[in-house]
Amino acid sequence: MVELVLNVLLVLASVLLVVLILLHRGKGGGLSSMFGGAVSSQLSGSSVVEKNLNRLTVFTGFVWAICIVTLGILLKV
Amino acid sequence: MLQAFAAAFRTPDLRRKLLFSLAIIAVYRLGAAVPGPGVSVEAINSCLEQAQAGSQRDVYSLVNLFSGGALLRLSIFALGIMPYITASIIVQLLVVVIPRFEQLKKEGQSGQQKLTQYTRYLTIALAVLQSTGIIALARSGQLFPGCQQEIIPSESIWTTVVLVIALTAGTAVIMWLGELLTEKGIGNGMSVLIFTSIAARIPAEGGSILQTRGGVVFAVVCAFALLIIGAVVYVEQAQRRIPVQYAKRMVGRRMYGGTSTYLPLKVNQAGVIPVIFASSLLYLPQLITQLQGDETGPVRQFFENYVIDQSNAVHVALYFGLIVFFTYFYVSITFNPEERADDMKRYGGFIPGIRPGRPTAEYLQYVLSRITLPGSIYLGIVAVLPNFFLSITQQGANQNFPFGGTAVLIMVGVGLETVKQIETQLNQRNYEGFLK
Repeated sequence: MVELVLNVLLVLASVLLVVLILLHRGKGGGLSSMFGGAVSSQLSGSSVVEKNLNRLTVFTGFVWAICIVTLGILLKV
Repeated sequence: MLQAFAAAFRTPDLRRKLLFSLAIIAVYRLGAAVPGPGVSVEAINSCLEQAQAGSQRDVYSLVNLFSGGALLRLSIFALGIMPYITASIIVQLLVVVIPRFEQLKKEGQSGQQKLTQYTRYLTIALAVLQSTGIIALARSGQLFPGCQQEIIPSESIWTTVVLVIALTAGTAVIMWLGELLTEKGIGNGMSVLIFTSIAARIPAEGGSILQTRGGVVFAVVCAFALLIIGAVVYVEQAQRRIPVQYAKRMVGRRMYGGTSTYLPLKVNQAGVIPVIFASSLLYLPQLITQLQGDETGPVRQFFENYVIDQSNAVHVALYFGLIVFFTYFYVSITFNPEERADDMKRYGGFIPGIRPGRPTAEYLQYVLSRITLPGSIYLGIVAVLPNFFLSITQQGANQNFPFGGTAVLIMVGVGLETVKQIETQLNQRNYEGFLK
């Protein structure tokens, strides 16, 4: 029963996490900033939206990690 | 040297950046050690032991290397940054092919943003594909050929679905970590993460060489690694300095300009990106054939024999060719001679003996394309050569192995770039740097 709940929670958290991360402005991050060269950190004064999004993503990430670790422990024991 | 480190930590904003980067790296490594839900750690461990004892060809050596050994453990960060790299290559190549993408790229900032967004969507799609493929392999027991243990004990389809979703989310998290690292840390996030993964494997791999092959081979391999490091640093720092003369200008009552400087053109303007791209592109056919599933089909046989097998001459030639191609491709994307010439003209600069404007752009292009040729060939040779030597000294070794050309190239390149970035930050405060 606990396992099922955790599984459902994990799936929900994963999907939410992916959506949240995709919502972030890809600030020319990653490889694509190597590309196109001068995509300097333009209006990098992170807006309120971005700040809240960060907070929400970190929170979801925590839930996600806790789900995975607990599931791992449950299945192992 | 140590003093410079201390200085770096005494500077508050630099210290914050360094600590942030270290924290991200720690999270990344931690995630690489956490097994995915429903994966049996015991079975994986015993299978890994078996795989190390036997000298069978590692199906996933490259991805495994790029993910720091997380792939074969089926941890939540199993896929590493590979999907993101593959996605960016695909999008950048599509820019040349699809007119709409080209238009977006020319649009500047907002267009670039859109392209980045497409890359991120594509990353998630690729992550779903790849995680499905790998879990299917693990289920059918092909991930560790010859190992009898059940890696995923539960038979239900539900476990598989959860695992696929969790791995996809893990890839998204890695992507985000990389972006955060680029934004708030030191260096380029993606390459720093690759660097971390490769570096994490070195002690274990070195130990296993020392144990299985003995001290002499170990010493030879180490000497080779040092040699490659020397060669890489040598070329990485090489540059051609084109003299630029600035005209004198009067602004108000002040006199500006009149100085003569130079425009540095690096021999290897592209850095390590071509190597990363070439090796990831060579991995693509593997992904496709693996998704196809049919094991004995002629297409798959062909790919396995010629493209995937790393001791094959076709593979080596292909790898070399791709590195040369991507060097030119990447240089053409990052360095725009016309823009440079325009900038120079605007500030009253000129190259002695060459008219400003279009002739200058043509001259820069001329020099650049000639200087890149040895650069690209050098890069290719350094990446490919160890292939030959290592296959002489020991069977089954390949360039994806941490001491091989590709890995060392990536590590040294990323290390140099990151240190340079730290140094420019440090130079804002005082002049004592890492590199003298």
